[in-house]
Amino acid sequence: MRPSYFCDSLERKLCSRFEQDLAIHENEAIDWRGDLINAGNALRPELHDVLAKNSADRMALDGSTAEIAANSPRYRRRSSTFIDGVHDVPNENSSPMAPAQLYSTMSGRLFHSGRIAIVLVGLPARGKTHVSVSLCRYLQWLGVKTRVFHLGDYRRATMGPGVDVPDDYFFINASAASVMIRQKILKKCREDIYAWLNHENGQVAIYDAVNPLVNGRRSLAKEFAKHDVQTLFLESYVTDERILQENARSVKISSPDFVGMDPDEAAQLYLKRIDMKIPYFETMSEPDLNYVKMINAGERIQYNNVSFGYLSHRIVFYLMNLHIKSRHTFFARAGTSSQQDSYKLDAHLSSEGADYAKKMSDTLLAHREAEREALIAEGGSDAPLKPLTVWTSTRKRTVETAECLEELGFKVRQRSQMSQLNPGVCEKLSESAIRRLFPDEVSLHEKDPYHHRYPRAESYHDLAVRLEPIILELEREQNDLLIIAHESVLRVLYGYLMACDAMSIPTLKFPRNEIIEIIPASYQNEAKRIIIPGVADKIIPGSPEDIRIPVPPSGFVSPLSGMGTPAMHSGIGTPAEPVNSSLLMNATSATGLVGTYSEKPKVSSPPRKPENPLSRD
Amino acid sequence: MELARPSKRTNGAGVQVEDTQICVVMVGLPARGKSLIAQKAQRYLRWLSIDAKVFNVGNYRRSDTPHPTAEFFDTSNAEGERMRRAAAEAAVTDMLKWFREGGLIGILDATNSTKERRRWIKERMDKNGIETLYVESKCDDEDLIMSNILEVKTTSPDYVGQDPEEAAQDFRNRIRNYEKVYQTIDQDESDMTYLKIMDVGKQVIINRIQDYLQSRVVYYLMNLHIKPRSIWLSRHGESEYNLGGQIGGDADLSARGQEYAKLLPELVRKSVGDDRPLTVWTSTLKRTIQTARHLPKHYNQLQWKALDELDSGVCDGMTYAEIKEAYPEDFAARDDDKYNYRYRGGESYRDVVIRLEPIIMELERSEDILIVTHQAVLRCIYAYFMKKDQRSSPWLNVPLHTLIKLTPRAYGTVEEFTSSGISAVSTWRGQGSVAKHEDPTSATVSLGTAGDGEVAKA
Repeated sequence: MRPSYFCDSLERKLCSRFEQDLAIHENEAIDWRGDLINAGNALRPELHDVLAKNSADRMALDGSTAEIAANSPRYRRRSSTFIDGVHDVPNENSSPMAPAQLYSTMSGRLFHSGRIAIVLVGLPARGKTHVSVSLCRYLQWLGVKTRVFHLGDYRRATMGPGVDVPDDYFFINASAASVMIRQKILKKCREDIYAWLNHENGQVAIYDAVNPLVNGRRSLAKEFAKHDVQTLFLESYVTDERILQENARSVKISSPDFVGMDPDEAAQLYLKRIDMKIPYFETMSEPDLNYVKMINAGERIQYNNVSFGYLSHRIVFYLMNLHIKSRHTFFARAGTSSQQDSYKLDAHLSSEGADYAKKMSDTLLAHREAEREALIAEGGSDAPLKPLTVWTSTRKRTVETAECLEELGFKVRQRSQMSQLNPGVCEKLSESAIRRLFPDEVSLHEKDPYHHRYPRAESYHDLAVRLEPIILELEREQNDLLIIAHESVLRVLYGYLMACDAMSIPTLKFPRNEIIEIIPASYQNEAKRIIIPGVADKIIPGSPEDIRIPVPPSGFVSPLSGMGTPAMHSGIGTPAEPVNSSLLMNATSATGLVGTYSEKPKVSSPPRKPENPLSRD
Repeated sequence: MELARPSKRTNGAGVQVEDTQICVVMVGLPARGKSLIAQKAQRYLRWLSIDAKVFNVGNYRRSDTPHPTAEFFDTSNAEGERMRRAAAEAAVTDMLKWFREGGLIGILDATNSTKERRRWIKERMDKNGIETLYVESKCDDEDLIMSNILEVKTTSPDYVGQDPEEAAQDFRNRIRNYEKVYQTIDQDESDMTYLKIMDVGKQVIINRIQDYLQSRVVYYLMNLHIKPRSIWLSRHGESEYNLGGQIGGDADLSARGQEYAKLLPELVRKSVGDDRPLTVWTSTLKRTIQTARHLPKHYNQLQWKALDELDSGVCDGMTYAEIKEAYPEDFAARDDDKYNYRYRGGESYRDVVIRLEPIIMELERSEDILIVTHQAVLRCIYAYFMKKDQRSSPWLNVPLHTLIKLTPRAYGTVEEFTSSGISAVSTWRGQGSVAKHEDPTSATVSLGTAGDGEVAKA
């Protein structure tokens, strides 16, 4: 039996952990945002000003995320497309339309809907953050201007670092002092929501908070209605103990505080603590309110529609496909085909292409094995690897690139929607020829490379609309997934998963000697690169039939450059430079064949070149 | 209607579908719109090449009891009960046989009003590795039920040749007999996959969706609405390429095409009947945009890439004679299976249908819309609303300079045609032909040939 002081100390840790969790593991975000601030002088002078100004009156520049989040709504969290942009504030000047947006309206609002507050309901550890962030990503993709407001951020900002809310904070009969704090926190959050909806042209505000009581929810809906905002409640309700345990274990107890402790016990205590802290919770059954109730992570969805139309159906459709299992997605290019290939010909793989297919498959399988072993070494589960499913387009090069894996017994599915961007008249033309033949089109294209289409061609926007069913199946897929497709298709799918701004999607680069891995996390997705060794330099940049559509003038920040160790990578925009792969191979020899590293800015990184004014920030 | 399955000959691999099979089980009292939902779902799925079939238990029962009275449906009537059970048994047996032959989504259209019956179906399906998805439509709106009863008594084969008043009375008694034993889906059945729609969609419960295909079906059912509306379709005006018998391209309108564009606003206004604005969808090609350009400014116009003409790849800009000359095998393969044949580097009709799917979803949820598009695309959209099969729809004759109006009704879609009277070349082509312009034969299915104002029922 454990000595009691141990339990006490564990409980204390859990208490303080609990408070942090109310701010929903933004600690990851803190780490690098702190870095950003420190590196700010060199990197982003304009950002530094914002941060300093907003923080000066309250506390020193200690990197308190919540403080920043609470006080600078216009703060942009990322500096590159290699960081999930789901929490970004859209930059209306750079891209007025979202990736899959079908049309625009004068008001900026879509689907015949006005302004909407989606209000989360549910106790901690019910996956509210995952649901709100995922939904936000999907709605942004459709062009609905959406932002998430985590009340936890505001709670932390108001209380200050390490300070717990009073014990009776969530009680119905809370003391006057606690009620005061509560109201102060709520007020700040609401003000930001109204600012977003009224002055920043937002259409949907996702309000991520516990909202445990019927009366509170009714008055919230009434208050929003007063401001001409419709309310749709979205409850995550869990009756299955196993899901609760799993959530508490995987998301909440992953702090260094608990290393070496029995995770089950920690999870139990954590859940008990929630019950003590928030003793009153009423699940939704108000007939007069619009709500969607997800029970046990989507096993069952109940929907009460008093006044909503299409947008809520769309949300329900999305939620039906959302799951909480952690699935890794890999992106790889197809092998090359013969020199004579063209978009229209649809040729077979060349021998070089077949060689690439083999190397890519070997690298991927070795990487998955290495990741599993690393996990076991860290004390993780030794369960066998998740099955891997492969998706290709119906074009021969992608189908044949998957053949090695198919022979090994992996399931391969062809998706006709994943055919490459149609180059139209630009097929096989050099950039100078296009400029000579279509000078007007080129100037239009440079103004909007995402939406402009050359004669007979598809734009990236057309491609995104065509890929929409694939996006939902992508959400649905529970197995690990390898997508082998043309670079244009990878750009758009990557753009969805990492919430890239539409204007940066056409410039994303996927050199053939890299597999991109996307690892989901509830607050934001992470991208990693896996180097495929031994790929011939000449096939790395792209296949001969690649569309030579002029890209905007050089200087654009490419997703695969800029991040991590910026100096080393700047210039990957001209992908033929082999310097990166050799350096990476040395730096990451720990996993043998495979080189990977996490893509977060580090303080120690050498300062980056000043940003080009043409780039998206 | 036959589904055309892809083969090796049709250039390029076919699209793979999930290997799941689903039995969709309708649940609900009579006059709740179950058959309507079942029919619509079947039409949508088959259009997407997902092999779906409705098995109506009533049809099985009718073969023994063509005109039953309400007493037949009284649960205390042992003989009636036995016969109804036999009918359900026969329908399920046939459905399982159809699944063994490769069917994907079978829809069991019956009241399935007891838990016992539903459990029995699930067990039968489970044994054969087939998923079940129950769709309950629960409605207590008296007006809606009454209008359904009126529709049923005039159209149901059970009441053929009977006095309408008596038929309605008998039908109400029949419903009452069902109500005695009706059990709605509840907690006892929480292990089942189901969609329960209550109060005309105001409340919905979705339980245990197992895969993407199920979610797609559920989403489609949620988007159906019953507000009256119409859809107007037109091809672009005659183009320069049409004159030369060339396919594809991005040509301007011919002089006669321009004339049609000028007349179109008047044709539309007459067909709509008043000045209410329509939403206009065009493709991104010049000929549809030019055709729509004289429509009133207050019409909201949108361009969709998904409405562009079927991409003929390497054959773009050629005449059929040139295609036969350059690619004789392709020319023959296309005529052999026009639905599945994918032009080298281009598209098949099957591909066009897949890219049109979001358009159909938008159309289902929208109200009045005018679509100006191209021959192949229009054939696909028309096939969706009019349930044309995949073998014949690519050969439909869709004349130029004609406005088509489709109005979805409970038991089929009503079509009307307005010819502009402006002559144009024929772009229809018979199997094997390389003629630049050719007149449809008497065997050709043509849209609107019977003249203006023709009303046909699908």
